[in-house]
Amino acid sequence: MFEKSLVDLIRGLRGHKGNESEYIQSALKECRNEIRSQDLDVKATALLKLIYLEMFGYDMTWAAFNVLEVMASPKIMQKRVGYLAAVQTFRPDTEVLMLAENLLKKDLTSPSIPILTLPIVTLPHIVTSSLALSILSDLLPRLSHSQPAVRKKTIVALYRLALVYPETLRVAWPKIKERLLDEDEDSSVTAATVNVVCELGWRRPQDFLPLAPRLFDLLLAQKNNWMGIKIIKLFAVLTPLEPRLVKKLVRPLTKLIQETTAMSLLYECISGIIQGGILDMADSGVDVEEVADLCISKLRGMIVLDGDPNLKYVALLAFNKIVGSHPALVSMQQDVIMTCLDDPDISIKMQALELVSGMVNSDSLPGVVDRLIKQLASSPSAVDDAANGHPEEGQTDMEQRLIPDKRGSENTPLSEEYRQEILTRILDMGSHNTYVNITDFEWYIEILVHLVRHLPPDKETTSGMLADTTSSLGARVGAQLVDIAVRVKELRPDTTRAAETLVLLSNRVISYPRHGSGQNEVLRSAAWICGEFAGYLSNPYEVVNSLIHESSTDFGPATLAIFVQAIPKIISQIAVTANREWNISRGATMSLLLARTTEFLEGLSSHPNLDVQERSVEFLELLRLSSEALSAQSNDNTQAPLLLTSAIPTLFSGMDLNPVAAAAQKKVPLPNDLDLDDPINPDLPSILQASQEADEGDSADDVFQSFYHDREPVQVISSLQPHSGSAIVDHPSEAEPTSYQSAPESPATVAQRKAERAARNKDDPFYIAPLDDSSPHQLHDIIRKSNGDEELDVDSIPIIDLQIDHTQTTATHHGEDYPGRSTRKKKPVRKFVVAADETLDPDADASLATQPLSKSASHSHSTSLSTTPAVHRPRSLSPHVGPGLSGKAPVRPTRNLLTVDSSTLEKLSLEGPPESESEILRREAEEAEMAIALREVERKRLEMQREAERQRTVLGEGVDADGTVVRRKKKKKKKQMPREVEGEPDNQLGLEEGVVAVKKKKKKKVVKIRSEQADVDKAAEGADGAVGAEQD
Amino acid sequence: MLNAVLVFNNNGQPRLTKFYSQLDTATQQSLLSQIFTLVSARPASACNFLPLPPLLAPAGSSASPDAPTQITYRHYATLYFILISTSTESPLALLDFIQVFVEALDRLFENVCELDLIFGFETLHAVLSEMVVGGVVVETNLEKIVDGVKTTEGAKVKRRAVNARDSGSSIGRGTGFAGLGWATGTGSSWR
Repeated sequence: MFEKSLVDLIRGLRGHKGNESEYIQSALKECRNEIRSQDLDVKATALLKLIYLEMFGYDMTWAAFNVLEVMASPKIMQKRVGYLAAVQTFRPDTEVLMLAENLLKKDLTSPSIPILTLPIVTLPHIVTSSLALSILSDLLPRLSHSQPAVRKKTIVALYRLALVYPETLRVAWPKIKERLLDEDEDSSVTAATVNVVCELGWRRPQDFLPLAPRLFDLLLAQKNNWMGIKIIKLFAVLTPLEPRLVKKLVRPLTKLIQETTAMSLLYECISGIIQGGILDMADSGVDVEEVADLCISKLRGMIVLDGDPNLKYVALLAFNKIVGSHPALVSMQQDVIMTCLDDPDISIKMQALELVSGMVNSDSLPGVVDRLIKQLASSPSAVDDAANGHPEEGQTDMEQRLIPDKRGSENTPLSEEYRQEILTRILDMGSHNTYVNITDFEWYIEILVHLVRHLPPDKETTSGMLADTTSSLGARVGAQLVDIAVRVKELRPDTTRAAETLVLLSNRVISYPRHGSGQNEVLRSAAWICGEFAGYLSNPYEVVNSLIHESSTDFGPATLAIFVQAIPKIISQIAVTANREWNISRGATMSLLLARTTEFLEGLSSHPNLDVQERSVEFLELLRLSSEALSAQSNDNTQAPLLLTSAIPTLFSGMDLNPVAAAAQKKVPLPNDLDLDDPINPDLPSILQASQEADEGDSADDVFQSFYHDREPVQVISSLQPHSGSAIVDHPSEAEPTSYQSAPESPATVAQRKAERAARNKDDPFYIAPLDDSSPHQLHDIIRKSNGDEELDVDSIPIIDLQIDHTQTTATHHGEDYPGRSTRKKKPVRKFVVAADETLDPDADASLATQPLSKSASHSHSTSLSTTPAVHRPRSLSPHVGPGLSGKAPVRPTRNLLTVDSSTLEKLSLEGPPESESEILRREAEEAEMAIALREVERKRLEMQREAERQRTVLGEGVDADGTVVRRKKKKKKKQMPREVEGEPDNQLGLEEGVVAVKKKKKKKVVKIRSEQADVDKAAEGADGAVGAEQD
Repeated sequence: MLNAVLVFNNNGQPRLTKFYSQLDTATQQSLLSQIFTLVSARPASACNFLPLPPLLAPAGSSASPDAPTQITYRHYATLYFILISTSTESPLALLDFIQVFVEALDRLFENVCELDLIFGFETLHAVLSEMVVGGVVVETNLEKIVDGVKTTEGAKVKRRAVNARDSGSSIGRGTGFAGLGWATGTGSSWR
């Protein structure tokens, strides 16, 4: 026998530097053998070695059963090893855990304290809800153990039990409270209890209000700063519930702030005042300003005086918590915060940056941004210094570590993350609330152009790919340039010239970062601006030359497509300008330019990207025509060819572009007579059948031919553009496209079909008849009146003019007049008008825009049906089994790594009034009984949960609560059906559906048109399903 | 609460890993190395709070107080002591916690050094379990921690430490491990 001890193993490890993994493998093999030994000593030693190796990442879950064996050893030292192994490696899914149950119970009742504490400290790591259930009755009595060391650990273990099995609290809480209220209790136990109460506190503060007096006494006694900190943290959660506490708390807290020497306590006092919302309670009779001043000055002192980076950091942390509610208070400390921006410590820098972007206003913005830009400029990027060939992130980290720390010097390379953070923050601050903080747009445009130079290098994986382009910083800079150009009309000349500098080839070396990334995204936007507002370009020739330079072909397809589109725009602009004094030399320049452009486009006409290819082929033909026209001209002509000066420009001019709200498209109401269930061609089944029958016959081909091909092309694109009413009038030809709804039929058949459908749907409760007879024709009438065109088929306009359909929707939206484009929310910021987003209903827009944010939490925003019912549904599915258990059903947020989920505690309702001693005794007696009942309940709950999940999968994602309602009705009906006489199933059906339909109608008033429509569709589906099931 | 306590040396070799929620071994290791990368890049004069490593970056917009958001560390001689905790813990108190932890180790090992912790593997765990149970701090009083460990370990602790040092020098290593010493930089306590 020559098995190694742990010390031997460690020595061996140290002696095998270089080939450690080999050594470890052989050691592991030995351990595998040793752990099977009958000798418990050998087994325990092997286990200890395995635990040690596990620390280095060598899995030992295979030894779970051996762990149990060692845990069961009668020797304390071996037992300890076993328990340590359990702590380090057992997972909730470890199967042998069930076998450990009895062992744990036995050790919990051991008279020896070292043995007794082992299961107590181990339980938090391995406990599952079933284990908690069975072990609870053995753990609970340890709360009254004679040793305080046992009591304090038991309290904490009970807390962890409660996290996986909330019912624990019901029996354990009275006892824990007893420990806390007992004034003669050992101070360690009290402190541990306070810690647990503090952990529970933020989840269910209402339960701890009765404890406030005792906690208050403990705070005043000031025996233990650790405990004081926790109590203050707990009070910060309680004060919002009980405003009277504020009055009581303020005095001792301010006293502590003024007197304590412990920085941690001081900091927590301030943080407690902030988080408890004491600063917001001006009406509580407390001099809030005085308190605020005290806090702020202390925090300022922490930053300025001590020079301790930790204090600086936490002070900024505290400022960050205030800044949301009291930006003015914080911005008074701007000077110190700004110096923190230049702190060499990255953690402090980041905090300061976050703080600065939170407190910035229109006055301080330029100063802050200039300072940040200076930081970017003065400290070279770590990547710039590195060899240019290694732009990977990992590489830069390595570089950084090797560079000796030049603290305080200006040239410390900023980490790439920090540089990105600065850029993001600048962009966020600038665009915040549609540029509300910006008074000087010329300056901001300059900043944007400047930012381009500091763009971070692309990550290898995303460069040139379509993915991630929207979120990249380059794209954001570009998008803001475009946004300003479109929104701020007065600044279009400036923005265009800024874009010009970014496009010009000669500037690219200095405008862009050396690693060259970001060009793609920025150039895309810059080129678009140059094309769209070509009239403002100072040197359009150069811009075109830069765009058609041969290096352009290296850009990504999305960028190239924009280039191709911009080129003819600029050329036509050049032509228009040149036309004013047309002469031979201008004609020659023009034809040269055209020749070079055609050459460039020819190169692209076989580009692998279809978009690029299509655009370049189109414009290639156009430009060839132009140059032909140009060369056909006689030399003495005083006019440029009309094709160049008027035909091509009209392609690009016309409606001005306006910013459109992201959600505007969604709000275009569905046409009233759009019935997605109505077959486009009612004869389709018979046609298909006929074609199947006569597969080889020619006649089938004809039918197909006529059905699929004999139709005018649908001009969807033209009608998709947000025309105003007058636009339709101006171009009646455009507004007359045929559509799928009306194409082959005459108006007479349409009317006939409509009447038929109406008759058919008369009894269908899911068919919502038009409320007002005139409404389907309203639109039609208005247009007819305005353009006098009798032939216009309104049904064929898929998307309707903004202004007109507002009149249709006022009934359901808030009755506010649509004020026309961009006049609403007009922000006279000095001299600039920032156009607001165009949308259908500006008021509803805000709620729609915030919808994705509030999706998870909000019940109040009933803007969309798909979110709210999702919250309610679990509740409707699980009848109230017990107050504590229903809490588990709602969807939990995605769990972070390491997170110990305590959300289960939230719903458990503890008793309000304190229980009497006898009741507690009675409870204990009933414990066993209750355990059985609870198990039953748990089983039931699981069943129901499973049922709910099954339903969810059947119904699919996004089905609203009404879908389930219908389902449940169906179930009920199924039970009834056999009993019902089958005499009049139709009547029965109608009745049932009528109920549902009424529900629909009630809801309709609340929800938005869009969701209502979806709702009706869904209900129709659901009803169909129900009907189908019943007819089966 | 505390989500994890980690100790590793200047080379990133773990000396103690304790996770208060179950985590598989591979993830533990990658988390360890991510934190080591972050912490080793920091100069001695930087503050003792780390940004979150990629593994711990918040998954969504939901800022649940359950999620670990603070990483506090202290550097003693050759060792880094790391605490990962939720926002319900006080940052400055956590720094003191590390200090108490190290002081307790120093009492038990007498002028503790990294080698003591390597060979006193079990004692290291015992000290921690006296101070933290299931992620909740149960004791911060130095005397009580030391007493608690001594009742379970007996006189064994000291003996093992001495053995370790003897054996360390006998194989020609272990010299150059100065005691952990206190306080790089600040030295002051926030208590």
